[in-house]
Amino acid sequence: MGIFSKLIRYGTIVAAPAGVVAILGIARLQAERQMPPAGDPPLPPAAKPYVQSVSATGILEALSENVSIGVPQAGLVTEVKVKVNESVKIGDVLFRLDDRDLRAQEVSAKARLEVARANIAVSEAQLGKTKSQLARLSAVSDPRAVSVEDLENRRQDVAVVTAQLDSARAGVSAVEGELKSLTLLIDRLTVRAPRDGTVIQVNIRGGEYAATAPKEPAMIIGETDRLQVRADVDEQNATRIRPGQRGRASLKGDPSVNFPLDFVRVEPYVIPKASLTGAGTERVDTRVLQVIFSLDRPENPPVYVGQQVDVFIEAPEH
Amino acid sequence: MFGLALKMLFGDTAKYLMLVAGLFFATFLIVQQASVFCGLMMWTSSTLKNVGAPIFVVEERVEQINEINPLRDTDVSRVRSVTAVRWAMPLYSGIQRVRLESGSFKTVQLLGIDAASLAGAPARMVEGNLEDLRLPNTVIIDELAVTRLSEDRNHPIQVGDRFEINDIEARVVGICKAMRSFTGGPYLWTTYERALQYTPPQRKMLSAVIAAPIDGMTADDAAAEITRKTGLRAYVNRGFGDNPGDFNTSTIWWYVRNTGIPISFGTTVVIGFIVGVAIACQTFYAFVLDNLTYLGALKAMGMSNARLSLMLVIQSATVGMIGFGIGLLATAGFAYAAIEHQQPPFVMPWQIPVVAFVVIQVICMMAALMGIFRLSLYEPAMVFRA
Repeated sequence: MGIFSKLIRYGTIVAAPAGVVAILGIARLQAERQMPPAGDPPLPPAAKPYVQSVSATGILEALSENVSIGVPQAGLVTEVKVKVNESVKIGDVLFRLDDRDLRAQEVSAKARLEVARANIAVSEAQLGKTKSQLARLSAVSDPRAVSVEDLENRRQDVAVVTAQLDSARAGVSAVEGELKSLTLLIDRLTVRAPRDGTVIQVNIRGGEYAATAPKEPAMIIGETDRLQVRADVDEQNATRIRPGQRGRASLKGDPSVNFPLDFVRVEPYVIPKASLTGAGTERVDTRVLQVIFSLDRPENPPVYVGQQVDVFIEAPEH
Repeated sequence: MFGLALKMLFGDTAKYLMLVAGLFFATFLIVQQASVFCGLMMWTSSTLKNVGAPIFVVEERVEQINEINPLRDTDVSRVRSVTAVRWAMPLYSGIQRVRLESGSFKTVQLLGIDAASLAGAPARMVEGNLEDLRLPNTVIIDELAVTRLSEDRNHPIQVGDRFEINDIEARVVGICKAMRSFTGGPYLWTTYERALQYTPPQRKMLSAVIAAPIDGMTADDAAAEITRKTGLRAYVNRGFGDNPGDFNTSTIWWYVRNTGIPISFGTTVVIGFIVGVAIACQTFYAFVLDNLTYLGALKAMGMSNARLSLMLVIQSATVGMIGFGIGLLATAGFAYAAIEHQQPPFVMPWQIPVVAFVVIQVICMMAALMGIFRLSLYEPAMVFRA
């Protein structure tokens, strides 16, 4: 038997078991390379707080809504008195608008007041003069020395000057009234807090122009000690919602932060769902029922107005 | 007798080699082609493997993962509201084009996952940090993307590099291992919200909702419950099998029904079988004819037909096993290269080699049967006549 035959005989006999071993190795390699089976996400999502619940997405708001501060008239802002996060009481000055035109009118009105007051003095002096003249003529006892006409003229003079004095006095009150209205108008340009709360957002700074119908409000004030959650429930789940149901919310970014919610009310009007992408071409294809819950602001970690939350509302399935 | 049979077999080197080669080719064709077919079919459901979630919820009439009819955004909340669901997260999956710095375009498979929980994130990171996905304009790419999106071999794309998806910047923060997609594009992970920015706006953008069953409930029961409560189609994601409610099974069967892939691979496997049968039977018959005088002599010496048949069976079975083994060796070599390069597709379930072994042995037994038939007609007296 040749060396070639031997080589083939023993070569094939060795190669065959080697092939079986190799394919087993491949099977093992294949198993190693396989994607691990489906499991939990890297960060476990918020556990459902209730056995049967309706899920919704919500947004944190200040309790009793956020107040967008408006301006009485368009104008330049001269000074902003509050900072973001400052708490304000009702009537506190928030910011002032430019009032120089009104102040100028005030200055001229004040000058006119002086003129009017001087007019009174002139009229009073005149009255004194005509009165003394009348007194002097009246004191003459001999009717022949004084003509009746003269005497009557003097009397008329006194009446005229008395009327002039009244007119001058009315002039003063008129200017005073004008001054008062100017003061009120100037005061109107100082924007004050309409209620107690915290300044959540300031969109206006000194020197900027405040419009009466702005794209974003000049300032937002709200009660941030207690917050409320506005939860959007898909209309298909709306029938499961009843007043008084409990809720629990967790922050969208961090499911480990969660807090209990107290039912406040169900908004009676079902609205189109606010869009996610915000693109103008987006069409609305679903409407949502809004449910309002209130919550105490947790101290730690802090939560903020405007944050998105995942809400679970305890509601039985039917 | 056993030694005698083998001695007879190995004695004729040319015929032995011919027999082994025929069975080797048959084995190689059957195992390799069947495995490539399985691999290709597995590629169709690679999104399901790369997004590890027990349940996929899709639109009512969706049958496979690569052809998705999008859902509304609030459907995530609807799925979440089902009692049987422990968690449910949005998933975007779509084909987008990437523009590289050089100006060339590449198609990619873009996946958008929930930013908070990162549900559906790549399971095996090679480089970078998964949490960095929360940074602005960031993506995680798979290893295929490294070769596809790189400028050239010497300048591979790295963590920190940038490219554009639909004119929006994308910065690489991680590289992961992922299964290849059927369409050939690499996988890119980003957050769901950002995936919507990368994608041209459409009315509905949510591809699927991924979910998990509550503790103590199987995924199948939970999926049935989701389908009943929401009217959406919920599939489980375990792997190809006989469960029609499994998204892998549904996807793969869709491709089997709607493409010519099984026919083309099936033809090759059948040809492998025919080649094996033709070569083995013909050669073995020639081998028996050649050795007929010796076999006849043994018969004349009083060896029974049964014992002679057993000898032939031993010979053909031995040849079958050796041919099969060498075929496996060649397949293993091919498989090693394929698995290392992730191309061509190669997935070999244990059934393939087992069935191939049975098929090869059947071929050998057919060949042995022909020999036995010839031998039984042979009269011992004919030995002395020659």
